[in-house]
Amino acid sequence: MSNADLRVDLGRGCVLPNPVGVASGTFGYGFEFEQLIDIQRLGAIYTKGTTPLPREGNPPPRVAETAGGMLNSIGLQNPGVDHVATVYAASFAQWRVPVIVNVAAATVEEYVRCVRTLDAADGIAAYELNISCPNIAHGMDFGLDPAAAARLVQAVRGATPRCLVVKLSPNVTDIGAVARAVEDAGADAVSAVNTFVGMKVHLGLRRPVLPNRGTGGLSGPAVKPLALAAVARVRAAVRIPVVGVGGIASVEDALEFFVAGADAIQVGTANFADPSVSLRILDGLTAYAEAAGLQRLTDLRWQPAPLPA
Amino acid sequence: MLSSLSRARDETGEVLRVEQLPGGLVELTAHLPHLAATARAGEFAQLRCGPGPIPLLRRPFSVAWVDGESCSFVFERVGAGTRLLAAMRPGDMLGSLGPLGLGFTLQPSMRRVVCVAGGLGCAPFPLLAKQARTMGVGDVVILHGAATAARLYPSERFVRGVDGVRVVESTDDGTRGHHGLVVDLIAAALSDGADAVHACGPNPMLAATAATLRDLAAPRIVEASLEAPMGCGFGTCLGCALPVRRDGGTAWALCCREGPVMPMDTVDWDALRALPPAHVA
Repeated sequence: MSNADLRVDLGRGCVLPNPVGVASGTFGYGFEFEQLIDIQRLGAIYTKGTTPLPREGNPPPRVAETAGGMLNSIGLQNPGVDHVATVYAASFAQWRVPVIVNVAAATVEEYVRCVRTLDAADGIAAYELNISCPNIAHGMDFGLDPAAAARLVQAVRGATPRCLVVKLSPNVTDIGAVARAVEDAGADAVSAVNTFVGMKVHLGLRRPVLPNRGTGGLSGPAVKPLALAAVARVRAAVRIPVVGVGGIASVEDALEFFVAGADAIQVGTANFADPSVSLRILDGLTAYAEAAGLQRLTDLRWQPAPLPA
Repeated sequence: MLSSLSRARDETGEVLRVEQLPGGLVELTAHLPHLAATARAGEFAQLRCGPGPIPLLRRPFSVAWVDGESCSFVFERVGAGTRLLAAMRPGDMLGSLGPLGLGFTLQPSMRRVVCVAGGLGCAPFPLLAKQARTMGVGDVVILHGAATAARLYPSERFVRGVDGVRVVESTDDGTRGHHGLVVDLIAAALSDGADAVHACGPNPMLAATAATLRDLAAPRIVEASLEAPMGCGFGTCLGCALPVRRDGGTAWALCCREGPVMPMDTVDWDALRALPPAHVA
C-alpha cells in the first residue's frame, strides 16, 4: 500500500483522484474508450473541444503521420454545447472519473454562453478553455496575446463558479507571460501545451499533405522536449497548478513532466496507438511513488537555480 | 450505423508466417485467437508495425483469412509501417486491436454473392468467401483485376479449398484473363442473378463499380470497403473522414466506425474523387 497522496487539487473544489488525465481531442467524450478500458480509474477526462454550435469538421485528409508524431487538422468536429449539456452530461454524472469539458469558441460572448449552458448540467467537474486551437479560422487569437487571454478568462471567470483550466498555446514567444496573465485574470489552473503548428509536404504533389492552409497541430513523442520546456517556463511564471501535456507515452515521460514542474498530466496522442497506455502510466506512477518513498509526485520537482545577476 | 467496439480487444501474438507473394504482395499470418474467433469479413484490425515511436500509429488491415486461432493479412510495402511488417519473422510479436469497423452484409438466404476486388482490394475476400459458404450462401463469384498478371492475388488463395467459390480474373495489360478493367466483368457476373455485390479496391475502381451498378439491375445490397488515413481506428481521433450523401448534401462519415464497408449509394463518389490523394506514411 502506497503512502503517497496522488490527488490533485485544481481549485474550486475540483480534486482529481489521481494526476493521470487524458488530453482533449484524443479521447472524444469517453464513450469509445469506455468500451475498451476502465475509464473510471482515470484522474480526469478532458473532452473533445466543444463549440457553441455543432461542427462537421474539416475536409480530409485530416491527419498525417510524421517522425515520432502526427499532424491533425480535424477542425473541432463536435456535437455542440447544447448536446453535450443535455445528453452527454447525464452520462458524465454517472461516472466516477471527473469530466472536464474543453470549450472552444470564437468570441468572448460565445465562451461565456458555452459555460453558462454547461453550468446547468451536473456531471462536469471543470472547464478547460481551449484558447489556442490551430485548426479553425478563429479561436487562436486569445492564446497568442496575454491581454486578450486575460480579457477572455476574466469574462468566463465572472460567468461560472466552476474550476477553470486554461489550455495554453505553445505557438507564442513567451508562454510564461500568457500563463501569468490568465492566472491574474482568475484561472484556477493551466494546461501546457496544446499542439505545435506544423506542416508535412507531399513532395510528389509539391504541396502540403493537409488541406486549407496546409498546416496542422503536431503532437506525439516528437514534441515532448518542447512541451517539457514550456511546462518549466509556465511553472516559473505562475503559482496555480500546471497540467503537463505533450508527447507522454510512458511512465518515464510522465515522471519527467513532474520534474519539469507539472502537478498533473494528460496523455494524448499515445491513446490512439495504445488505448490502455494511460492506465499503465497511472499504475507506473503509483508504483514509482511507493518505491521512491514519495509523499507526492510534485516532490520530484526540479528547483532551478536563480539566474546570475 | 456505427460499429460496436464491444468485440474489439488488444492482443499480442506470435507471427507464424510472412509469405512474399508474386508482384510484391505480402501475406502475414499471426496467432491472434481473439481476432480469429470474432472477425467478420470486411472488419479490420489495427496492427502495431514496430515498437515505436516511428511509426507512431497503428495501421488498419482487413482480416484476410482465419484458420483456427490464426489470422492472415495481405498488404504491399508502401510505407514505413508496411515495410516493418513485411520484415517481421516467425516468432516476432504482433500487436492487434480488433475486430473494428463495419463488415460486409452476408445473409444465409443469399443465393449468390459477387465480389469485385481491384488490386490489393483482394484482402477481405478470402474470409468473405469462407464465411459466406459456411453460413449457407449458394455460391461466391470473385471478380479480381490487377494491372498485370504478376500483381493478381493467386486465385487459389481466394478459394483455399472452399467449394462454391469461383474467381474470374482481368488484367489491364491482358497478361491474364479479361484484357481490361475488372469493372467490365460485372454485367456478366450479374446476368444469372445475385443477391449482393461487395467491392474493395482503389477509389476510382469503386466509383466505376458504383456507376456500372446504377446502369444494371443491381441487387439490393451493394457495398464498398473504403479507406482513409486513420489515427486511432475506433472513432476518437476523427481523422478518417469520408464524404457521404446525407440530407441532400455532403457530410463526413468516419471510415473506422461508419465504415470501412458502406452501402455504395451513401458514398459521395464525386467528392471522394475530388479529394487529394492520401499520403502514405
